[in-house]
Amino acid sequence: MAVYVYSVVATTHPRRLDDLPGVGDPPATLRTVGNRKLSAVISDAPEGLRPKRRDLAAHQDVQERLMADGPVLPLQFGFTAADDEAVRAVLEEHADAFAERLRAVEGCSEYHLKAAQDEDSMLRRVLAESDEARALNERIRGGADNPELPLALGELVAQEVQARQERLAASVLEALRPLAREENTSPATGNDFLNVSFLVTRDGEADFRTSVRKLATELGDDFDLRLRGPLPAYSFV
Amino acid sequence: MTVVPQSGGTVARGGGANSGNLYDVLDLILDRGLVIDAFVRVSLVGIEILKIDARVVVSSVDTYLRFAEACNRLDLEAGAKKPEELTDLVGDLTEDGSRGKAKGALSGAAEAISGALKEGSEEDEESDEREKEPVRKHARATRRPSRHRE
Repeated sequence: MAVYVYSVVATTHPRRLDDLPGVGDPPATLRTVGNRKLSAVISDAPEGLRPKRRDLAAHQDVQERLMADGPVLPLQFGFTAADDEAVRAVLEEHADAFAERLRAVEGCSEYHLKAAQDEDSMLRRVLAESDEARALNERIRGGADNPELPLALGELVAQEVQARQERLAASVLEALRPLAREENTSPATGNDFLNVSFLVTRDGEADFRTSVRKLATELGDDFDLRLRGPLPAYSFV
Repeated sequence: MTVVPQSGGTVARGGGANSGNLYDVLDLILDRGLVIDAFVRVSLVGIEILKIDARVVVSSVDTYLRFAEACNRLDLEAGAKKPEELTDLVGDLTEDGSRGKAKGALSGAAEAISGALKEGSEEDEESDEREKEPVRKHARATRRPSRHRE
């Protein structure tokens, strides 16, 4: 029977899963398979599993429960193996790599930071500081109906915006880097200009949070910083 | 500025305790985490919409036009910053008009501009007030994530 795989932990991990629900409806029952060193938390794989909110939450809750008692390697959502035996084979095959990653995330949590800037205030600043952009804008507003003008303005502004946001993102990373053991950036989505995860030691969490708050104060009201954590170390496994 | 720490900051509070925060970590659950090649991944159809929301490539005509439009609109709102220059301009126009041959038409235009300016400056005062009103920013901040959810 196909099994859904949640996490890999050391077999010494207590795996207090109690009655935590698994994915699927009705929720599958969690169990573990493994060897002397490594174990995987699994459940029967429900038929036609889809990434519904409940299932994503179940996957996430397993990681959060496990990380309270020791290092955990969270799988990406949605992976199934043919049967228990296939999971055991993978644990054997990748034993060294898994053990190495478990050591790397031991005593650490992931903090995930996304940052956005209010678009109007950003554009105001670009217009205030670029004579060329301001001049183009005035011409368009003045009724010039040359279709090249909005394109020229837009291109100029887009370049300015990108350059500014790259500098901002770099300065945020630079400020937080010394407080984290590892970092992992992704392309930002939507209005965000920064999407980054940090691996932070438990001892360093308070300092890290304080620094993010300080940064947010420095950046001011036009910025929206969303910090999530402590989280399972999804980005560092 | 809004910093949203995860509520409580503690882990493992059991079944679905953190579902409220799920949205913000969705990309981690779906795109990061351990990937094992030997395993099969369930279909993520239905969640692809998240990928579509990937940041618009900055160098596209659509982006340029959108930025240009936003700037045009923005400057009209922020026009309050140059009332003196504009008043001067109207003055010049009136003078030109009185010197020119098509006097009637030009002074008519100048009046129209003065009228527009008055309306404009009233609006500007309003928008300046709104500027200081924090509610406006919150409205904007909440609009952002809701767009992702759609």
